[in-house]
Amino acid sequence: MHALDVSHTAPGFERFVPPGTVLDTVASGLIFTEGPVWQPKEGCLFFVDIRGDRLLKYTPGKGLATVIQPTGKGNGLTLDHDDRILCAGWGGRTVWRLEPDGAVTTLASHWQGRKINTPNDIVVKSDGTIWWTDMINGIYIPGMCTEDVQRYLDFEGVFRLNADGAGMALMADDLITPNGLCFSPDEKLLYVNESSQRRIRVWDVGGDNTLANGRLFYKDTFSEMGVPDGMKVDVEGNVYCTGSAGIHIISREGQLLGRIHTPEHAANMAWADDDWRTMYITARGIVYRTRLGIPGVPHGHANRKQALAMAGKGDR
Amino acid sequence: MDWRFERVAGPLGSAAMGVVWDGSGVLFTHPESHRILRYDPQDGKVGDFRKWTNGAAGLAFAPNGELFGAQQLSRRIVRYNSEGSTMPMAYRFVGLPYHSSFHNMPKHLAIDAVGRIWFSDPAPRGVASGPPLPFPDHCSVLRLEQPPDRSWVLKRMTYDTTAPAGVALSGDGKTLYVAEDAANGATLRAYPIDADGSLGEYDVLHHFGGNRHGKFRGIDGMTVDAEGNIVAAAGSTAAGPGALIYVFTPRGRVIETHPVPVEPTNCAFGDADLTSLYVTTIDGSLYRARDTGRRGKRT
Repeated sequence: MHALDVSHTAPGFERFVPPGTVLDTVASGLIFTEGPVWQPKEGCLFFVDIRGDRLLKYTPGKGLATVIQPTGKGNGLTLDHDDRILCAGWGGRTVWRLEPDGAVTTLASHWQGRKINTPNDIVVKSDGTIWWTDMINGIYIPGMCTEDVQRYLDFEGVFRLNADGAGMALMADDLITPNGLCFSPDEKLLYVNESSQRRIRVWDVGGDNTLANGRLFYKDTFSEMGVPDGMKVDVEGNVYCTGSAGIHIISREGQLLGRIHTPEHAANMAWADDDWRTMYITARGIVYRTRLGIPGVPHGHANRKQALAMAGKGDR
Repeated sequence: MDWRFERVAGPLGSAAMGVVWDGSGVLFTHPESHRILRYDPQDGKVGDFRKWTNGAAGLAFAPNGELFGAQQLSRRIVRYNSEGSTMPMAYRFVGLPYHSSFHNMPKHLAIDAVGRIWFSDPAPRGVASGPPLPFPDHCSVLRLEQPPDRSWVLKRMTYDTTAPAGVALSGDGKTLYVAEDAANGATLRAYPIDADGSLGEYDVLHHFGGNRHGKFRGIDGMTVDAEGNIVAAAGSTAAGPGALIYVFTPRGRVIETHPVPVEPTNCAFGDADLTSLYVTTIDGSLYRARDTGRRGKRT
């Protein structure tokens, strides 16, 4: 445990990271952690060790346990409306669901008859639709795909499924290395970052779930190590995105407010605990935990509703 | 006898490599555009055989007809399956910590009669995909082989190379030829392959040397003809005797040299009777010399 290092850019950053905030290491010795998501029913954090090929859970006071292994080098995780784990399958080139009995159901693997790229991160909207980024990099990075490393699609994009796993739709096909994605608290905006471009783009989400008016939201112009990867929002709509030095906190207007510095490269983060002010951060072989000032909008339908209701932003 | 080289494809502007005869056409790689191309001598057309190769360099056919390649920027050997998929082979050494277990960037490969894949793994050229992973502290010839359970295992075969380039196997499978581009001069080495599959002490078959203009460019890629001679792409216009195809006897005697219009990167026999030699060059061209008076080894 040590003091959390930050750099302030805008006045009032203490509201986001109160003075005296510390950074705990809750897990270490892993290879490449990603996909954190908090499950209040079990009071545990699910996450993956991509290169270790494992889905794990961390339970405060109990420690680590392996849930499934191998995972096909699974990456981003989220929860569906029935609190089942959904995984952006990355190395396995599928999107899959972990059933309560431990079975794995493949939800998506091909687009118009061609194998998709390598799903990187995944999120569920309040209407139950499942959205993920289909980045190409997983087929090229040594050690990720174990079956087929041939590229078939001539684009990288964002796909959507209905809640039941049917109705696969291509939502955007003009992205370069699409990685993290999240909705604004009111779900009227979809943020998607592009790692290699070091930027976040944003689209308006129509009532029929179509995307429109894609535009640049934020550009990471710093030079420290780290790229846009995992991305989440707080209940006020501020965007938390990994990037140079750690995690960038960005206002709804796209202005950098400040940065949380992490000793290891941060890849993703998850809101946790009853007040949703705890943040777990996956960073290479480590999982960190810290406590922030503003509650986040967590994954999981009931969790999201609870967090927004507590913040006086219910009925969304 | 003089060989007349004609350009049949390219130039693509940067090096072409990995030339192999597939039975009716020539496959070669263009790492910069991440493609494997195919030249069809029937109609003279050149087309894409595979896209998105992530810098594939050397190619080789196994005795069972399977095609393998060195995917440089993904730091692994892959198999190009006939239905269009691409399977990664074992890419880690057994028994090392995870981050230290990856090999370098493979370049050239040769496959023996029992399907073992011998490949050179020189120092990285270009940036590998993804977050950086450490490179090993050696540049060796490695081998992929299948134990009886049919899984693939990666083994280190040389412990005395610093910059291996082309690799080739003698017709009887008892000798491994390695082009070693050492800092103090490029050589062609012959390693005996022992009965247990390991390599014995090497002999230097040829030393390329240098002069006041610099070190002479040694062998990049090479092949073996039906008589067991080593046919090698070497040399440059910068220093030494020029850009050449050399023909060495198995004992290292230089019995022929043939000037090539551009620095050659690799060569392979082709056409119906395997008497033409196809040569890839650093400007991304595919050249052909017909009626070489030599014949390729049937695989």
